[in-house]
Amino acid sequence: MKAKVLLLIVFSIFIVAFRSGNDNLFVVPAYFPKPVYNFEKNPLSEQKVLLGRLLFYDPQLSRNNMISCASCHSQFSAFTHIDHALSHGIEDKIGFRNSPALMNLAWQKSFMRDGAVNHLDVQALAPLSNPVEMDESLVHVVSKLQQSKIYPQLFYNAFGDSIITGEHTLKAISQFMLTLISANSKYDSVMRNESVFTAQEYNGYQLFKKNCASCHKEPLFTNDEFMNNGLALDSSLNDFGRYRVTKNTEDSLKFKVPTLRNIEFSYPYMHDGRMKRISEVLDHYSFGIQKSKTLATELKQPIVLSPTEKIDLTAFLLTLTDKSFLFNPKFFYPKEIFQSTAKD
Amino acid sequence: MRNVKYLFLAVFLFVHSFTIGQVNAIKFKILPYYSTYQRSINDTAFQLSSASDYKIDVLRFYIANIRFYKKDSLVYQEQKSFHLCDASIPNSNRFLMSKSENVTFDKFQFDLGIDSTTNVSGAMGGALDPTNGMYWTWQSGYINFKLEGRSNSCDTRNNEFQFHLGGYASPFSSLQTVTFNVKNSRDFILVLDLSQLLNNVDLAKQNHIMSPSKEAVKFSKLVAQSFRCIEQ
Repeated sequence: MKAKVLLLIVFSIFIVAFRSGNDNLFVVPAYFPKPVYNFEKNPLSEQKVLLGRLLFYDPQLSRNNMISCASCHSQFSAFTHIDHALSHGIEDKIGFRNSPALMNLAWQKSFMRDGAVNHLDVQALAPLSNPVEMDESLVHVVSKLQQSKIYPQLFYNAFGDSIITGEHTLKAISQFMLTLISANSKYDSVMRNESVFTAQEYNGYQLFKKNCASCHKEPLFTNDEFMNNGLALDSSLNDFGRYRVTKNTEDSLKFKVPTLRNIEFSYPYMHDGRMKRISEVLDHYSFGIQKSKTLATELKQPIVLSPTEKIDLTAFLLTLTDKSFLFNPKFFYPKEIFQSTAKD
Repeated sequence: MRNVKYLFLAVFLFVHSFTIGQVNAIKFKILPYYSTYQRSINDTAFQLSSASDYKIDVLRFYIANIRFYKKDSLVYQEQKSFHLCDASIPNSNRFLMSKSENVTFDKFQFDLGIDSTTNVSGAMGGALDPTNGMYWTWQSGYINFKLEGRSNSCDTRNNEFQFHLGGYASPFSSLQTVTFNVKNSRDFILVLDLSQLLNNVDLAKQNHIMSPSKEAVKFSKLVAQSFRCIEQ
């Protein structure tokens, strides 16, 4: 009888610990919707997130061991590649698109600018295998990790198995990416009634709600849909966006609506990085829209704003900057671990 | 101490029942055939020799969700079963259905490839691990069937042909269902007749398919039609 009670106590401690462990790693404001990601199939744990963080920063994931995920997704720019319209990868080869900023990925139904990837777990396969990005194969990455001094133990800590598999490698990377939550901007503190907008920001917020929010839907600032926002086709790229995946002409020139969170730090903008400044983006919506069959109905009429309104709207967009995300030490390059192994 | 004895007995009975049961379990063996010969891809007879001949380098495909029917009602289905058959890996072409000893049936069916739900469920292990070379990287989705080789009729680099058939979403869903009416046997050989398959394809005109497309759907149907079932 005593043993049974003890067993019950041990068991209930296990459940409680598991849940809270999960909660600590994935803290979400009450006004956020329910995540899309199915955590039941890949429950978060400290060890798995740590392993994912190491993999995210490890250049062994590339063919020449020089490019990591972070090469095109650096934290201070909201995990994108600033200063380059088209991101560049291995041996400075130029990519096809501007790398997207990474945050709040648990709420995304699909990934990449064209939604070619259907699940966060398999997202990393795309840059890993792309010949101008990391030019590696998952099977070879697994064998490199298996031979390393640190990874078999880290995989054991995370998954209870030191035999490294593709599944575990991908799930660990997912775990780290799932923790990249940006929900602590000034906008968020206003939503939580912890602070107030300035008059200018408030005016900008009203303009935003009237003109932008149907596609850049709060609180994630994207509706996660594919839309044609009236960009002229760049004939040097001939990128038809979503059409490339579905081969459906109705999807021609449609791209995933990006989040506007941390927009201040995630320039340049658009799928091909053609715009460097927020003012250029606003000008595009005022007088740059190209009409075509698949143009978003929301943009059939241009968004005409006065110069003052543009400044107010910009002031609001800057309230989406989340410094506690951009400089969160939990997401830093794991210097301690990499340096300690370098000495071996 | 008594408990330990019982434990041993239970383990013994469990293991024993399993081995007895296996004798009568339903077994499958998949064999690629070319012409009248059974071939393995390491077989020298598979080498290019004449204008009409082929050399197969890769033959790999999924047989999944095998289900058994009696008078059209489902009597048994292997749960979450995905068998990756690879002509270059001995024994990857044999499998037995667990707990199928008492199943009686007159028809069985399997998926040639991976269903759409599994295709959108993230990273998975075992036969479904993306390291098996059966998962696309630039676009999500499993490759259901992979056939690579050479033929003199291909006017391509090294006379190569490559068929990677997949696609889970409409209108390019290439998943095929293969059905056989059978007697209530326990031993089945599924023969994939490659000569029939390749005779139905004009390799001079069509020698590579690498993405979900109309062509992939059409070719997948040809593959499904190239299976025969031999009962033993």
